[in-house]
Amino acid sequence: MADVITVPQVQPVQPALRFLRVIPGVLLLAGVGYAGKLLEQNVGAYAKAHHWTFPNIEYVLWAIVLGLLISNTVGVPEIFRTGVATYEFWLKAGIVLLGARFLLGDILKLGGVSLVLVAIEIAGSLAFMTFLGRVFKLKPKLTTLLAVGSAVCGVSAIIATKGAIEADDEDSSFSIAAILALGALALFTFPLIGHVLHLSDRAYGLWAGLGVDNTAEATAAGALYSDAAGKLAVLVKSTRNAMIGFVVLAYAIYWASKGQTQAVGNKAAFLWQKFPKFVLGFLLISVLATYHFFNKEQVGALANLSRWAFLLTFAGVGLRTNFGEMRKQGLRPFAVGAIGEVAIAGFTLALVYGAGKIFGW
Amino acid sequence: MSAEVETGKKGSRWKPSLDTWAVLVAFLLALLVRTGVFKRIPW
Repeated sequence: MADVITVPQVQPVQPALRFLRVIPGVLLLAGVGYAGKLLEQNVGAYAKAHHWTFPNIEYVLWAIVLGLLISNTVGVPEIFRTGVATYEFWLKAGIVLLGARFLLGDILKLGGVSLVLVAIEIAGSLAFMTFLGRVFKLKPKLTTLLAVGSAVCGVSAIIATKGAIEADDEDSSFSIAAILALGALALFTFPLIGHVLHLSDRAYGLWAGLGVDNTAEATAAGALYSDAAGKLAVLVKSTRNAMIGFVVLAYAIYWASKGQTQAVGNKAAFLWQKFPKFVLGFLLISVLATYHFFNKEQVGALANLSRWAFLLTFAGVGLRTNFGEMRKQGLRPFAVGAIGEVAIAGFTLALVYGAGKIFGW
Repeated sequence: MSAEVETGKKGSRWKPSLDTWAVLVAFLLALLVRTGVFKRIPW
């Protein structure tokens, strides 16, 4: 591990106090998310009543835009920050609950196709980002972090890899800033391109799951297009997430062979430690739904719980994105990330078109 | 980030990760729906 801070005596924070600390931020997430939902309902109705031509803007976009406005104007006060950071928790809980809307057969069918596409996407993205890092003369470990962030699953992959290859804090901050900034751009560009190209829900969902890096942004980019596209984007993105352990292990072994990190001992334990457990939860709920453990009304209730969890996530995506902070991280890693992301978006779109031709979608 | 904090004594107690907590909470909610504690969740 790169960052071992020796603290002789640490007074543990009481669990009750920790719980109290998250409440203001969670309330802010709920408030911003719910405001987005109200805006979706009321702006559309108001425009219709006044015979205005106004596009139907979904709560997903309203929640993100409201969050971005707060974060980039008045900022998020300290008291809310711990709670706002829980958006990842809501995202993962939402994905697990979403499993109730998938039958196991669908997962195996779509998961099989997406697994092949994910394997091609990961190999292509890692190779291209490594090449770009060399062209732009970035530090090798920074290049590794950017490559893993773009190929696998954004921030979680960067944090997992940072520990495994003992990269600097500065490198991981650069990579996270680049991936988050580009994820924010993808939120607006992916649905736009999808509509211009008249992509079907299936093609778009596959593309969003393959091409958008961070899980929260991939979920939002999918949901911005349609409910069906959102479901598929989550499935494909979860398949990508499931690969994280293998990619991080490969890089850990590579850097250990160069004598720059400690050798990996128990590889199976390493894989289990890095494996995203929410993917297993998602599969298990789907198995239960497939074998009618839940009746139809209960599946509907679980789907709505998942929507509420995602509502908090989308508000969090906006609230934690601060463009001023990202600008401070410098231009070069961002340029490498941007060029790489555009290439990966084009590459994954071509993959989706290719798969569509093969499978006759 | 992923900084490891070493204290004087190393605790051997298992601490669930964020992922694990999310799975546990989701399953608890699913159980509450299954047992009829939550009958209808509006949207």
